[in-house]
Amino acid sequence: MTRKTFVKESKELFRDGRVRIAMFIVILLMGISIWISTQHYQNINKQYETAKTAERNVWDNQGEKNPHSAAHYGTYAFKPKYPLSLIDQGVDKYVGSSIFLEAHKRNEAQFSAAADQTGLARFGDLTPDFMLLFMIPLLIILLGYNSFTKEHEMGTLTLLKSQGFSAWRWVLGKWMALFIPILTLTTVLFIVAGLILSNLKDFGIFDWNSLIWMYLLYTAYYIIFVNLILFISAKTKKSGISLVVALSVWIVSCLAIPKAASNIAEDKYPYPTRQEFAANVLKDKKQGLDGHNPWSKEAKLLKEKVLAEHGVDSIHKLPFNFDAYRMQKGEEHEADIYFKHYNYLKDQFTKQTKVYKGLAVFSPYLPTRFMSMAIAHTDYATHWNFADAAENYRIATQKFLNDDFAKNSAYGNWGYKADASFWKKLPVFEYSPPELTAVLSQNTLNLAVLSTWLLGSFALLSFIKKI
Amino acid sequence: MLSYNFKYELKLLLRSKWIQLLSIILLLLFGFSGYNGKEKVAKRKAAITAAQDEVKKNDEMMLQLLDSIEKGMQVSASRWTLPTSPMAVGNYHPRVAAMESQSMAFIATGQADLFTHYVKPKVSGDDAALNFTEMTSPVQLLFGSFDLAFVIVYLLPLLIIAFSYDILSAEKESGSLRLLASQPIGIQNWVLQKLSLRFLWLSVLVIVALVITLFILEIAWFSMFTAFMLFISIVLTYMLFWFALAFLVNLWVGSSAKNAISLLGLWVLFVLLIPSTLNQVSTTLHPMPSRTLLINEMRGLKAEVAKKQDKILDNFLRDHPEYAINDTTQTRGFYHRYMASQQLVKGELKPVITTYENQLQKQQAWVEKLKWASPAITVQESLNKMAGTSTGDYDHFRKQVVVFAETWRSYLTPFLYNNQNFTQKDYPELPQFVFLPKPESKLHLVPVILLGITTLLFGIGYISSKKFEERTVLTSF
Repeated sequence: MTRKTFVKESKELFRDGRVRIAMFIVILLMGISIWISTQHYQNINKQYETAKTAERNVWDNQGEKNPHSAAHYGTYAFKPKYPLSLIDQGVDKYVGSSIFLEAHKRNEAQFSAAADQTGLARFGDLTPDFMLLFMIPLLIILLGYNSFTKEHEMGTLTLLKSQGFSAWRWVLGKWMALFIPILTLTTVLFIVAGLILSNLKDFGIFDWNSLIWMYLLYTAYYIIFVNLILFISAKTKKSGISLVVALSVWIVSCLAIPKAASNIAEDKYPYPTRQEFAANVLKDKKQGLDGHNPWSKEAKLLKEKVLAEHGVDSIHKLPFNFDAYRMQKGEEHEADIYFKHYNYLKDQFTKQTKVYKGLAVFSPYLPTRFMSMAIAHTDYATHWNFADAAENYRIATQKFLNDDFAKNSAYGNWGYKADASFWKKLPVFEYSPPELTAVLSQNTLNLAVLSTWLLGSFALLSFIKKI
Repeated sequence: MLSYNFKYELKLLLRSKWIQLLSIILLLLFGFSGYNGKEKVAKRKAAITAAQDEVKKNDEMMLQLLDSIEKGMQVSASRWTLPTSPMAVGNYHPRVAAMESQSMAFIATGQADLFTHYVKPKVSGDDAALNFTEMTSPVQLLFGSFDLAFVIVYLLPLLIIAFSYDILSAEKESGSLRLLASQPIGIQNWVLQKLSLRFLWLSVLVIVALVITLFILEIAWFSMFTAFMLFISIVLTYMLFWFALAFLVNLWVGSSAKNAISLLGLWVLFVLLIPSTLNQVSTTLHPMPSRTLLINEMRGLKAEVAKKQDKILDNFLRDHPEYAINDTTQTRGFYHRYMASQQLVKGELKPVITTYENQLQKQQAWVEKLKWASPAITVQESLNKMAGTSTGDYDHFRKQVVVFAETWRSYLTPFLYNNQNFTQKDYPELPQFVFLPKPESKLHLVPVILLGITTLLFGIGYISSKKFEERTVLTSF
């Protein structure tokens, strides 16, 4: 029964001109989007390599200079692109790709691509993730909306019933006829993506495990849609109505709920504006130790403390340059302030994430989207991770510079200049994103919600028997 | 026949609960999206007011400090933050350059979540590095906002499709079409009448739901009546476009399910595929030069400039002999060198910066031309423009800020080079930023052109279906 249903349904699908056209369009668009993404990816990575080397050259060849001048002159941390961003671009377009690292200040990543595009960009891009997340579910709807309703409409249901058939075998046949074309399509796409990725030279290490996880993720997402569409088709009487209902489910879960979620999240846990944030940081900074200001109360307290520790009565007798020491202490204090304020942002973000996860109960799109971005290293969490790494590097750089200043010069000697060869001793900024296992363990809740959806949608299917 | 049709349609729609259902859906959608829009505008206004209040408070402190210093009293602030120094005023007491919201801002978020609505340009720093992006969670930017524009551009067509995909085919499928065929009315006339009535009802529902929403949200739509009417006419013509497509599909395609598929295919095409493809093509045709490489260029330049600071200052003073004459002390410090170098860097970078602006403008011009490929783009862009949140509006604001930053700098630099103190007397002279909204042109043409396209579609359907009406409509069953 199952096999016969499967063969019959598949034949019907492949005879249908609209299905063939739709399949063709999806495959064509997918091909185009992969090609565009590959170009984009190679381009960005080339720029990344050039920028990174050029910036390091500028840093290394500063010549003789006061270490603190060099600290103000600063350097840049650039964010690389990772292989799987070829499949899911995630939020990459909306976050900056370079962070300026300077003394006294933690800067945010600058220059997001979206800011350099027209309003049209907000409709979305023709990328593989757009095809995977939006278009293939639509294809499932097109293939499956009349799976059961046509039996009603053509009167074949009565014939079937008279045969004494087993309902679940029949449903299974229909399920396979709908799922197997989609599975084939997805498998081919991922194999092609894998081949492209493993053949790109020099650009990061590509991990097949991540790709397989992504493949499983999308397969689960499509199974949920297959189940939902079959359920809708079984519970409605007319094909037209089945189609409209299926489409409403699609638009609610893929477009309406994510947008509504973003509004609710912002309403409940708002971010400060950029200027407010800067003003708050400034307020805190004013209250603490300022490395450049020897006359403040905090600076005097620090002086007394250090003098007592070393048992001397004048800062001239200290074995190091007190100016530089104070500078480093000020730096540490400022880093703490930034840490506090950025932690607040991170906190808001975590709370917002909970809103998204809560609303994922109504939309299988949300957990899939978040998981997919996380595996591809194009999600917001990875961006935070990168920004934190850059900040740690900035703090280490400041210490490296101030220590040299303190060790090699005497108090009051602002004219001190470090050797031209000194700058090369600063370690290079290296960043590697979290491993797959870490990403997965961070996303257990998303995985759980998605599994619930998967099981729940199968449970719905079991109701079809009573057709 | 029309009046009979009218009565019958109304009864049908009421009995099938379509009108009731639609009213509730529309009220909910408009209510939620209108509320979101209103909240966003309120947040924006509050942020600007807070920033201005803060500046006012700081200014009072600055004036007090100036007063004490001018009276020769001892002050406790750090030396380099004292407002007698023009550079301290320029860096620690910047003005707020704010982009106030337009009266219709609640209808479309547009680029409002991406860009900031106020900045405080200082005398030091680069204009190129002025950050105009807002601190928003990128996830939020990715998903977009549930605003009125979203409901109108994305969801309203779907309601229309659900409302009109089977007007002819349902009659065919239930067999009542044969009865109708015996009546003295052409099939396309009859479909047209039926669709017009549905359009009429939907329009009434949309307008009423909108007015109720605005009334509940306490948005004074009546005070901006002309803008509101333009908004309504854009929405109605956009709806009419989808009804025209429904008309064509009803006449040309067959069964209800096939109609629904065709209409949904058109929806995917116009709302999702054409916009994303056009965006891809516009960025491919007019690619933005890499910002990362811009950083490199800027850094290289600055490294070079830093080495020759003294020479640059000499050259600068040679170009501006007025400073040498007015100032008798001739003291030269860090800021003298810095400001002269900045000016040089700015001049050198100018061509690079302009490429970005030009590329964006080219992209924008391209989009302006091709936006007619999909009414969804046309309507979204028009609503953004009405709301004052389109890319063009933010571009306009950015340019004004850059001009203001220059005004701010050029007001204070003469003090610096003349080694002249900033005093209480000079305070009222400080430049203020006045935001001028982008003058909107030709928006009223949008509904007219949409109407033209729609009439064309109706005309095509009307003429072409006449030829094969008897054949297809009656023999297919």
